[in-house]
Amino acid sequence: MDITVHGTDPFGNEAYRVLFENIMNDLGEALAIEKAELVLRPEAPLFIFSVRLRAEPVSKTIADVSSLREEGSGVHITITDERYAPDILGAMWSMYGRNSVDQQTRFDMSVADADLEVVSKTVIASGEEALKEIIGSVWRSMPEGIKVRHVFISGTVVTVVATEEIMRPEFMKEGARVHVEMGGSADV
Amino acid sequence: MFEVIMYDGGVYRSAELFELIEDVGGAVLQKIRSSQMLTVTMSIPTEDKEAVVALCREIGGEVKEVPLAGTEIAVVGPTLGRHHMPHPICDIAEALRRKGALSIVMGLARGRGKGTSQISGSEVAIINEYDAAIFCFGNFKSCIEAKAELMKDIKIPLILVCGPRPEGLEDYCEGIVPGVGRKSERMRSPDERNKLDEIVSMTEMVLKDKRKRMSEDPLFVHPSEVKQVLENYHPIDMCLRPSPIVLHLDGLRAKIPYDENIQAIKDIMIYGRKLGDIAKITESKLDRSSMLIKIKTGSEVEYDDARKAAGKT
Repeated sequence: MDITVHGTDPFGNEAYRVLFENIMNDLGEALAIEKAELVLRPEAPLFIFSVRLRAEPVSKTIADVSSLREEGSGVHITITDERYAPDILGAMWSMYGRNSVDQQTRFDMSVADADLEVVSKTVIASGEEALKEIIGSVWRSMPEGIKVRHVFISGTVVTVVATEEIMRPEFMKEGARVHVEMGGSADV
Repeated sequence: MFEVIMYDGGVYRSAELFELIEDVGGAVLQKIRSSQMLTVTMSIPTEDKEAVVALCREIGGEVKEVPLAGTEIAVVGPTLGRHHMPHPICDIAEALRRKGALSIVMGLARGRGKGTSQISGSEVAIINEYDAAIFCFGNFKSCIEAKAELMKDIKIPLILVCGPRPEGLEDYCEGIVPGVGRKSERMRSPDERNKLDEIVSMTEMVLKDKRKRMSEDPLFVHPSEVKQVLENYHPIDMCLRPSPIVLHLDGLRAKIPYDENIQAIKDIMIYGRKLGDIAKITESKLDRSSMLIKIKTGSEVEYDDARKAAGKT
C-alpha cells in the first residue's frame, strides 16, 4: 500500500501515515488498497482521505470462493477462501436447514438434497458490503471529532471529505480534485 | 521516616510478611490477591526496611520501589471512543499502576473535535477529586492548543500528554510530555516505553512538588493512620469493592455509601478527636456510594480549636 500524506502539521503527517497503515492492516483492508492519499488540514479543519482499490468490489458467489462437487443427492463444498467460511455456512443453514448441513472440518461441508447449480450461484458477499467496510475503515482512521463527511465513489476510487461543522463548497471542490487525481471520475 | 515498597509474589508464607509489617509498626496500603499471586503495597519504617526486604525475598517474592504509592491519578481522554482507547490512555494508566499509583481512566462526554470540544462542571468536579490528572490529546498542534479550554478549571496538578509540543499552554498544566498523540496499538517499542517512563517521572516530579508544598503545613494525621482505623469499621470491612479505601496525598476515599455512614464515620475517634473534627468529609461526585475524607492541616485544626474555645463554632 502506497501512502502519500499532504498536511500542514509535520508531526500529524507522520503520525497519520502510521495510523492509517495500522488501522487498514488491523481491519484486513490493506491488501485491497493500492494507493492512498491523505490531505490533513487541522486548522480548517479539513481532512480528505482518498483510496484507490486494486479491483472494483464485486459480488462473490460460493463458486468464487470454494470448489464444489456433487455427492449423491447433495453437494460437497470445499472452501478455498477462509474469510467467507461463516457466510457460506450461514447461507447453507438458511437455505437447507441445519439438519441438512454436515460440517466435517472448518473448510469442508456436505449439504444434503442440494442442487449444485443453485449452491454455486448463491451470493455470499456483495460488492456493496465490501465497499461499506472500506469506507468504515477510512472513517475510523480519521480524527474522532470530524463527523461531517461526504463520500465520492467512482470505479476503484473512494474519497472521503470530512470536516467538523460546516462542509464548505471549497472543501468539496478540494475533495473532488483529489478524487480525480487518484483516478476517479470528475462527475461524482 | 516511613518508606513505601511493594511486594510482588505468591501467597505462600504471606502471613509471616503481614505479621512482620505489624511488628515493625508499618501499614499495608494496598493488598491485591489474584489466584495464588499477591501484591502488597506497604509503608514501613526506614530502619526496618532491610528486614522486610529480606523476608520478602526469602518467601520467594520480589520487592519493587513504588514512588507513586498512596496516590490516585486520573488519566483523561477526550472521549471513551476507540480513537483514544485503549491506547495510549490505558498504557499510561498501566505504567502509573506499576509504580504504585491507583490510576483510573476517564473519557469526557463531549471532548472530541477542535471547535466543538467541551467539559462539563460535573466532569471538572470529578477530576478535581484526584491527586493529579493526565490529559491525553492528539496529533495536531492547532487542535491541542484549541483544547486548552478543557484544562482551565482543573485545580489539581495536571500533566498534558500529546503529539507535537503546543505553545502557550504552560499556565494550564504543571508539565507537558510531547511525542505521544493518538495511537492505534500498544506502546511497546523501546521509544514508546521510554515515553511512558517519561510520563511517570513527570508525574512523580509533580506530586513531589505537591508533597513539598503540603509539608509546609502538614496534615493533622497521616492518611494511612486514618486508613488503619477505618479498616475496622464494619461496612468497610465487609465492602466487596476492590480497594475499599484508597489513599490520597491529603486524605482518602472510602467506598461506602455517604448517606448511611456519614454520622458513624464522623464519630470515629482518632488520637482522642472525632474524625469529623479533623477532616472534611464530603460525598464523592463520582458516585453516591463513596465519600471523600480530606484531612485538615495542623494549623486548620488549631484554628478550629481556638474558635471553639472562643465560643464561635
